[in-house]
Amino acid sequence: MSAKVLLVEDSPLIYSALKLLLESGGFDVTVATTAKEAKELGLELRPDVMLLDITLPDDDGLSVLRTLDAEGFKPGATFALTGHSDSETRSRCLEAGCDDVLLKPVPVKQLLRIVSEAVA
Amino acid sequence: MSEVETSNPPSRLEPATDRISALESQLAESQRLIMELKERDALKTQFLSNISHDLRTPLTAIITHAEILRDGILGDVTMKQRESISTIITGGRQLLDMIAEILMHARDSSEPLTLVESEFSIHEVVEQVTSLNESLVAKKGLSLERYLSPSLPAVRGDRDKVIHVLTNLLGNAFEFTPGGGRVWVDAGMSPEDPEHVVLIEVGDTGRGIAPDHHELIFREFAQVDSSASRAHHGTGLGLTIARRFVELHGGRIWVESELGQGSRFFFTLPVKRQGE
Repeated sequence: MSAKVLLVEDSPLIYSALKLLLESGGFDVTVATTAKEAKELGLELRPDVMLLDITLPDDDGLSVLRTLDAEGFKPGATFALTGHSDSETRSRCLEAGCDDVLLKPVPVKQLLRIVSEAVA
Repeated sequence: MSEVETSNPPSRLEPATDRISALESQLAESQRLIMELKERDALKTQFLSNISHDLRTPLTAIITHAEILRDGILGDVTMKQRESISTIITGGRQLLDMIAEILMHARDSSEPLTLVESEFSIHEVVEQVTSLNESLVAKKGLSLERYLSPSLPAVRGDRDKVIHVLTNLLGNAFEFTPGGGRVWVDAGMSPEDPEHVVLIEVGDTGRGIAPDHHELIFREFAQVDSSASRAHHGTGLGLTIARRFVELHGGRIWVESELGQGSRFFFTLPVKRQGE
């Protein structure tokens, strides 16, 4: 069975590109476009990997991790997606429980490799 | 040219209270104008911040789709197709860098930047920045040399901002040095204050900068060649931001150069220790 990836990203332009990429890599991809939707889908699907845009329209993306954690679920790996490379953003994401922070646009081969290694 | 009269000279007979009242009213009006300008400036910054985010999003999608095509994830591509797609990606990434510069400048104008300090090694920073540029150096046929004093102490400062300065100076050196040329980074203690100040040099054998332009290049939006047909493009903010970052650390940045003689950019960073 394909590994499950929950892609949390509000921009259709970006999630369509990443979904196409990850599906081409053989992953089973579900998209959530708000923090609320991500929390619901996270608990329902129990993904192996979560790719999490930290700026979402309804809440801070990192709140998704906190909610899932409070409900007793932690994805196999969570990678934050952000447009900001500063070390403050990075520390905030790592402290919230992300395994790594990826700067958008993430080079596609790098993203496939990271997700593949996370589910290996 | 006639002078514009802004107010009538005070009459000796005019009661002092009237004059004070007029001044108070002028002061109130000035304060109102200052507030209005500040509000407009904040709006402009917010606009630039929003537009930068909105520009980044489609660009990110364009670059990601182009990389999917270039890397053959959806099927084979010919060598020529790959070259063409690679140009889309390079152009897209250049645009992203320019958007980041404009946003940083806009933010700094309205809400001055601060340092996020930590202790770090200049050796590691130089290694990180130079290794990221190795493929570009090889592609242009340049030689990149590093001269790092083994006795450099750890520096306390904002690592991201120092990386930004070094990346900018090296990026300019690579851009303005023709193939076969040399670019170098030299870091050691400053001869002027060998106990407290680190001096970093980024030099090149490129086309050089006329002395008349040594100050101009650090001014915002300034470019030595401002014609529309100029060969080198950019926001004209790179060195302005570099200077701002160096000065935030209490350092200094300058250039020594002559046309046709290459350029040597220098910046200093005070060595601060924990608690200083």
